Amino acid sequence: MPEESAKMVAFRKEVRAWLMANLPKGWGTPEYKMPEAQTPERQKMAMEWTKKCYDMGYTGFGYPKEYGGIERPLEERIIIREEMARTGTPGAPASLGTLLAAPTILQWGSEMQKKRFIPKILSGEESWAEGFSEPNAGSDLANVQTTATKSGDEWIINGQKIWSSMFRFADFGVLLAKSDPQAPRHRNLTFFLFDAKAKGFDRRPLRQMTGEAEFGEMFFDNLHIPDNMRVGEVGRGWYVAMTTLAAERGGGGGGGMGMGGQAEGRRQIGAGVMDMVEIAKVTKRYGKRVWDDEHFRQNIAQICIETEAMRAQGMISMLKLRAAKQPPGGPEVSISKNFSAEMRQRRGELMMDIIGAYSQMMRGSPRALEDGDLVYTHVRAKGATIEMGTSEINRNIIAERILGLPR
Amino acid sequence: MAMEFVLSEDQVMLQSMARDFMAKESPRAHVRKMSEDVVGYSPELWKKMVDLGWQGLTIPEKFGGTGMSFRDLAVLVEEMGRALLPAPFLYNAIFGAELINDHGTEKQKKEWLPKIASGEMVITPAIIEEDGDFWAGGINMRAHRRGASDFTLIGTKPFVTDAKAANHFLVAARTQLSDNHEEGITLFLVDGSEWGIYVKPLETMDILRKQFDVQFTRVAVPGANVIGAVNGGWTILEDIALKARAMLCAEMLGGMEWVMNTTVEYAKTRIAFGEPIGKLQIIKHKCADMKSALEYSRGAMEWAVEMVKDNDPDAPLAVAIAKAYCGDNYRFMTNTSIQVHGGIGFTWDHDLHFYFKRARSSDTAFGDANFHREVLAKYLDKQMGGATSRFGGM
Repeated sequence: MPEESAKMVAFRKEVRAWLMANLPKGWGTPEYKMPEAQTPERQKMAMEWTKKCYDMGYTGFGYPKEYGGIERPLEERIIIREEMARTGTPGAPASLGTLLAAPTILQWGSEMQKKRFIPKILSGEESWAEGFSEPNAGSDLANVQTTATKSGDEWIINGQKIWSSMFRFADFGVLLAKSDPQAPRHRNLTFFLFDAKAKGFDRRPLRQMTGEAEFGEMFFDNLHIPDNMRVGEVGRGWYVAMTTLAAERGGGGGGGMGMGGQAEGRRQIGAGVMDMVEIAKVTKRYGKRVWDDEHFRQNIAQICIETEAMRAQGMISMLKLRAAKQPPGGPEVSISKNFSAEMRQRRGELMMDIIGAYSQMMRGSPRALEDGDLVYTHVRAKGATIEMGTSEINRNIIAERILGLPR
Repeated sequence: MAMEFVLSEDQVMLQSMARDFMAKESPRAHVRKMSEDVVGYSPELWKKMVDLGWQGLTIPEKFGGTGMSFRDLAVLVEEMGRALLPAPFLYNAIFGAELINDHGTEKQKKEWLPKIASGEMVITPAIIEEDGDFWAGGINMRAHRRGASDFTLIGTKPFVTDAKAANHFLVAARTQLSDNHEEGITLFLVDGSEWGIYVKPLETMDILRKQFDVQFTRVAVPGANVIGAVNGGWTILEDIALKARAMLCAEMLGGMEWVMNTTVEYAKTRIAFGEPIGKLQIIKHKCADMKSALEYSRGAMEWAVEMVKDNDPDAPLAVAIAKAYCGDNYRFMTNTSIQVHGGIGFTWDHDLHFYFKRARSSDTAFGDANFHREVLAKYLDKQMGGATSRFGGM
């Protein structure tokens, strides 16, 4: 790696010192107890942390200043990201704000919408939910049945959404609804923002195979949305949603913490490889150390290869986009989304193979390894190739929109 | 030192010049002609490449070269991989130009580098032996002392690439027996016209990179032709092998891109059941998987080339990753491509089989994917140090 300039070395020191001073008390020590995921305590903590970082100028990159964006050279952003990764700082609040709402509003929204919503997404003060999929519109998203009926300068929404990410603490949501039942497919949908506290909106958790509920069902019973919360033209919602989904698959393309989800993925997966090596070294199967078994060693090395290839490709494609002055978030994100999702599953399967009987021990069991995190990660990974566009849909996108094969 | 993943203007120019050159000077008819030729390359074509400064691309200008970087060389070699240029270029660039420039004495550089740049000297490695593996324990051919400083080579080197196109061999031979395989190996630059050298063609699967048995029957080599220290050859080989592997990855990437484009083109135009086969999801998904393999291989390759260029301490890691990954993926892509093509892909007349065969020969050369995963495992092992951890007590 190239050597850092003295200025950047000093900056890294400054970031490190700030993190040490501002992270929650006891952070990084065994005494620290992180509030359970999906609880109001965890959400509050994440919101406060994000606000702190935002006020310091350590997050909120990639957006114009007038919409609350923080301007900072890429070099510094990378250092911030690395230092945050190193200390394993608390994540952002449970919200699809930076990943989905902000990029969509920035590209398609009105001036009012940009000024009103983007700053509070970047600062973590307001959380967002997503309302795309329906019981009969998953991969076939254009088949949305939720209706939007114009009444004066309002829209009246009726219907049901499912698999809505980050539904629980959302203050606002994005929504795709059918506004013209007569119009042809892909021309009959409109994209809206809605207030999750309004009358006519209800939500319910959807329990998934890990046992918890990250996703929810959302119900719309005569929810009124003012027309100024519409994003893009009437009937063009499909196209708005497509850019949104590309941003989501790309892991926040340009928004969020600045580097996008590739860097986030790297931190987790990089650590994942080393954890795996460590576990293989201390685990015995049939009296023999797992690490001494060539089959296991080869497979672990393969996970490492794929992790590093992903990191290198992510870095190179970012540099190339920058050189070409192109924003991230094109159809190429389908490649990285699929690759990382499928790798998470391969990694999970291999980890279970390594730990054998301990693959049965979930969180809470006195015999669980890592408080059941390894097993949880494996089970949770089954969703990775389904959410944010199934692997099959993404392969279609790669084939049709990148390679130009006929639809 | 800078990470330069985006091609510079000069590199883009080199790339397009190389692409035009291959199309004009080495079209498929030429490639096929060479595939059936026992020597396997055309001296006229070699001369035209000299005129462009390619054989001396990374040789410093003071030794008659072009003075460009390892990354520039990778850009050029990638085009050769795409076109399957039949010439002993890659190994000559590494085991000739790079090896002598990195490890030769001033006198050797002065004498040999200009001859490599001018195309007069063509060097190919004669390192591995009957077990077929690139490792110190496999090198058993003897070099005996002859007088104060000279040597005599006795033995046979199999799997020598382009032995008839080259006129010099970079030979690794044992000058001292030792319990440690890695000690006692010495590198010799041997003139192929010396008395006692016999080159025997071997029917080779990758017909565009032919292999030969080279027999050395009491071949005299002057001490001036020893590269590096006597008995100290293995560390040099390990070092130069990193460059060879990184460059093979660049070459593989060119081939992979050709395979990708050719497959997509075929899927768009081949009609079955009344429509292009590319409309079928099963074909689309195969193509999408190839695209993914291609993109991530490129990431791994470019990282490796950059690390090697900068002589970074992480270079061995980056090269192990790239060589394993590109080798696996080039094979995956050619296998898949043949399946997508169906019958036509199984014919001799289609060019796919050349790429399929090259994928295997490139994976095997200087350590295959399995070997490099083990290299990587050793690296991970060291990273961990002694594991006393939270996972203890199982």
